[in-house]
Amino acid sequence: MQKYFDVAVIGAGHAGCEAANAVAKMGFKTLLLTLNYNNIAFMPCNPSIGGPGKGHLIREIDALGGIIGRITDQAHIQMRALNTKKGPAVRALRAQTDKHLYQETMRKHLEKQPLIIMRQGEVTALERTKDLWRLILDTGVSYEAAAVIIATGTFLRGRVHIGSLSYSSGPQGQHPSIALAENLEAQGIKFKRFKTGTPARVRKRSIDFSKMIEQPGDWLEHGFSYWLPWQPRTPVSCWLTYTNERTHQIIRDNLHLAALYSGAITGIGTRYCPSIEGKVVNFPDKERHQVFIEPEGLNTDEMYVAGLSTSLPEAVQDEFLRTVPGLEQVEIVRPGYAIEYDVVAPEQLSTSLQLRSCPGLFTAGQINGTSGYEEAAAQGLIAGINAGRYLSGEDPFVLGRNEAYIGVLVDDLITKENNEPYRVMTSRAEYRLSLRQENADLRLTEYGYKLKLITDQEYEAFLQKKARIQEKLRFLEENYLSPNSPEAIRLQEETGVALQQKTSLQQILKMPEIKLSLLWKILDQERSPGEEDDVLENMVKYQGYLEREEKMAERLLKTEAKKIPPDFDYDAVPNLSMEAREKLVKFRPETIGQASRISGVSPADLTTLLIWMTRNNQP
Amino acid sequence: MKEMSELDTIAAISTPPGEGGIGIIRISGAEAARIGAQILRHPSGKRITSWPERQVRLGLVLSPEGTVIDEVIYFLFKKGRSYTGEELLEIQGHGGYQNLKKILNAAIKAGARLAEPGEFTKRAFLNGRLDLVQAEAVIDLIRAKTDLAHQVALTQLRGELSAVVQELEDQLFEILVPIEAALDYPEDDIPPLVREQTANKITVICRRLEELLANADQGIILREAATVVLAGRPNVGKSSLLNRLLGEERVIVTPIPGTTRDFVAETIDLDGVPARLIDTAGLRESDDLVEKAGVERTKEIMKEANLILVVLDAGEELTPAEEEMVINSKHKPLIVLNKTDLPAVLTEEELKGKFPAAQVLSVSAKTGAGLTALKAAIREVLIGRRDFEEHPVLVTRLRHKEALEEALAYLRSVVQGLSRQQSEDLLAIDLRAALEALGRITGRAVSEEIIDRIFAQFCLGK
Ligand SMILES: Cc1cc2nc3c(=O)[nH]c(=O)nc-3n(C[C@H](O)[C@H](O)[C@H](O)COP(=O)(O)OP(=O)(O)OC[C@H]3O[C@@H](n4cnc5c(N)ncnc54)[C@H](O)[C@@H]3O)c2cc1C
Ligand SMILES: Nc1nc2c(ncn2[C@@H]2O[C@H](COP(=O)(O)OP(=O)(O)OP(=O)(O)O)[C@@H](O)[C@H]2O)c(=O)[nH]1
Ligand SMILES: [Mg+2]
Repeated sequence: MQKYFDVAVIGAGHAGCEAANAVAKMGFKTLLLTLNYNNIAFMPCNPSIGGPGKGHLIREIDALGGIIGRITDQAHIQMRALNTKKGPAVRALRAQTDKHLYQETMRKHLEKQPLIIMRQGEVTALERTKDLWRLILDTGVSYEAAAVIIATGTFLRGRVHIGSLSYSSGPQGQHPSIALAENLEAQGIKFKRFKTGTPARVRKRSIDFSKMIEQPGDWLEHGFSYWLPWQPRTPVSCWLTYTNERTHQIIRDNLHLAALYSGAITGIGTRYCPSIEGKVVNFPDKERHQVFIEPEGLNTDEMYVAGLSTSLPEAVQDEFLRTVPGLEQVEIVRPGYAIEYDVVAPEQLSTSLQLRSCPGLFTAGQINGTSGYEEAAAQGLIAGINAGRYLSGEDPFVLGRNEAYIGVLVDDLITKENNEPYRVMTSRAEYRLSLRQENADLRLTEYGYKLKLITDQEYEAFLQKKARIQEKLRFLEENYLSPNSPEAIRLQEETGVALQQKTSLQQILKMPEIKLSLLWKILDQERSPGEEDDVLENMVKYQGYLEREEKMAERLLKTEAKKIPPDFDYDAVPNLSMEAREKLVKFRPETIGQASRISGVSPADLTTLLIWMTRNNQP
Repeated sequence: MKEMSELDTIAAISTPPGEGGIGIIRISGAEAARIGAQILRHPSGKRITSWPERQVRLGLVLSPEGTVIDEVIYFLFKKGRSYTGEELLEIQGHGGYQNLKKILNAAIKAGARLAEPGEFTKRAFLNGRLDLVQAEAVIDLIRAKTDLAHQVALTQLRGELSAVVQELEDQLFEILVPIEAALDYPEDDIPPLVREQTANKITVICRRLEELLANADQGIILREAATVVLAGRPNVGKSSLLNRLLGEERVIVTPIPGTTRDFVAETIDLDGVPARLIDTAGLRESDDLVEKAGVERTKEIMKEANLILVVLDAGEELTPAEEEMVINSKHKPLIVLNKTDLPAVLTEEELKGKFPAAQVLSVSAKTGAGLTALKAAIREVLIGRRDFEEHPVLVTRLRHKEALEEALAYLRSVVQGLSRQQSEDLLAIDLRAALEALGRITGRAVSEEIIDRIFAQFCLGK
């Protein structure tokens, strides 16, 4: 049996799978451990992947050579394009997946990787031995690895609550991970307690869909992945229904029984995925809340009841579910529950997702205080890449806030006081128009190739695509329409836009009324494959805005270039405010840019810091 | 993004123009001595290699082209020993503003950055040389040049502009938050954007910003003092007028044309409004080198003035040069017809007929006739008929004015975008940019607040 690995990944959830894949692709021998071999890439919550922000993350991971996009495409049973009319920055894909198919596809993919050894086994302790980490399993077996990525999700000291029923457990009846949490704590790693929850699963044949509104999927021309040929499936529908005053009354009447309100739960929940009891309490005036019924898969009768996450006793769940139109006869398959778990206090992390105090020890995923599959996968990829770079003695791979949502996510994690599970949102991105879903490859694939996560073949295809776009851009710049040409006349017929003078196609495309598809039609030109026309159109149409973001980004980069030494003595700096001093000591920002994003650090504090650093001749 | 001043070395003229015979340039920052070495030379012309601390030395300042600008005295404070706490080089030159400006330009060419108002004090504060209260007092109160300006500074300290801007920010957040929420949660039920209504709301905010901006120049004048230039042919009585307005014999007056060779500036209080009156060399063609230089400087200073008083002599015919001066004036010209105690050759009526756009005031520097009216007219041109007691909220800083202008431009673009069916993501980008600009006045962190408000206002997520 192999005993030594370059990298060991603890946890085969969304973060762990992505991490292991990246490390192996970079050429390192990788051990991937999971508590249960049946539950690789298990989705404890919604069967849905993507949406604004989250879908952007998937595209970015895919552009860098990660796998969540490919697996989602293969396991989808419905795909929707969201925000199609709200502008290029926020357009996003969202998939409904078959959970079982997703797991199977991921498992098969990882099983095919020659450098990955994947097995079941609970890590109970980590020990530092000289330059290596020893991982000790519950069975007494042990391994050694030069770097370790902990991606244990919600398992660390997991505790499930259903009304007054409460027991130690991982999600959905899985083992909790207690020994490892205690072991890490003993090594000085600080945890805080978060909580999340999930709704009941119900039986399909007990639902009256005639009382609900059908939510069909879209037939799309592309999925998430840039690399995998897109194979659309006949979309399976979801269903929309609503709660009502009766539902809310039952919940209010039983609030004292909800673990969230009885005081049984001390962990902090997230505003981003509230429980139904939270919604009823916090928004008493809202007359109804949306409920989406979503299939858990094609080969199961289980349906997911999105919107009704709860910690109420099962009997109450049953009662309030039956007030919802279409669920009058509902049969619960599994009750909803809340789960509390340990997360690493984020100020211990550096931008590489390495724990500052433990060389070679990385954390990724929900353990870092995030919520969501996509957020977990993004961190898994970054931790994987950086574990690899750590092994080869290279500088960490850090994406800027101006380059990717992944950059925004990691930066937020390490500079923000996170008081609740973190979810990515487009409104967190300052450079939202630059970070579009359709241009993720143009932003990131170059990196992916350099990191060896993108194959030569993929890279070749990427270069060709880029060249095609460049060529078309030149075509638009160099070709003109004259006012009375047949094309201009057709343009006017179609759009009412009358050209006053000879105008370049590029200028014409900038007009709000003109779509690129229309231009191609008028010019009798073929549309470009995939989303290439979208890239082109957005580049031209939003040039002014994009240039503005670029200018902003230049300022950002200047502040990011000013590095703060890791052992910088903040106490020596006079005139820093108390609050700033405390926060700076706690978060230990790596650059002035990061420092500027820590709340409580004012511009005056930054200037003070800068002056002090220069005065002491620090770079 | 939070703003911060870079750590560059800053330089500025530290005496207001016209104050005494010498002028001071201060250069503060790590590069002060290096810049000094570049622009200063020993009186012998040799390079300066040693910088004994706080010892007064004689030297020459060189222009970037290598010509001598001025003979000066200078001294260096080492880091930690100066007013700002940084390395600081002080150069004392010969008073003329243009001269000082040349020295300053040389320092800037050598790598210094022009200091913003109050920046020396700010650095002093940041380096622990002053506490915050002292620093603010220095910047906002000591600089106040009249009682009214002092009042305005006090209002500022109490944060009234900030309060008004915050109110506008709140209104903008209310518009932006539902848009942002819908962008991030397309499948939740959030009321859709009603374009026309939103455009109307933003238009109201734009108007409020326009109102604030309408007073900004005046506010800045109150804080920084207006520059008023006395211009005209030699011997028309410019210096006499300055003395009259000041109420003291500040400038030499002679019957010889071309008496004033360099300009002289004095600050006067026009019923609460501080104005820096600048007497200049009379504008005329001349072979005298010194006078020629004076005329050049006059033309330069006129470019920067808030107001130019074109002084004419009632006892003489109007010359083509004078006519040109009135016509080319970039502001609404204010013609001061002096020497009206003499038999009239040039009359107010004649001037009014010739320059219908101009305002003409008849005065006599000799008898003092018309001077009260002149003061009132200057004040009115500078800040309008306003009585500032009615306008407690004033923009008094260029930085604030620029922030308001930026916000206004973004909001106008939103209004336009709303009517042109521009997509929500772009509207949000401009709304955010407007909020970021206003945040430079109020110090509000926009991103965080948007997210907090989204979840406070809407029930989102499954
Ligand atoms: C009840 C519940 C509700 C949720 N609701 C939402 C929601 O509404 N919206 C949303 O966006 N996200 C939700 N999430 C979060 C989302 O499911 C997670 O963010 C995501 O799955 C995290 O991925 P991960 O890879 O970090 O961890 P996980 O997917 O949890 O994977 C952890 C892995 O670690 C392994 N492991 C743990 N301990 C050990 C050990 N000692 N030794 C070896 N292996 C170990 C496990 O076997 C597992 O493979 C919810 C999660 C739960 C549990
Ligand atoms: N009668 C009369 N003489 C005046 C008046 N104002 C100035 N003078 C005289 O005009 C002459 C020139 O006055 P200055 O004030 O020196 O004129 P100036 O415009 O500054 O001239 P330069 O500095 O040479 O450009 C002096 O003899 C003054 O006494 C006035 O209102 N009435
Ligand atoms: Mg004179």
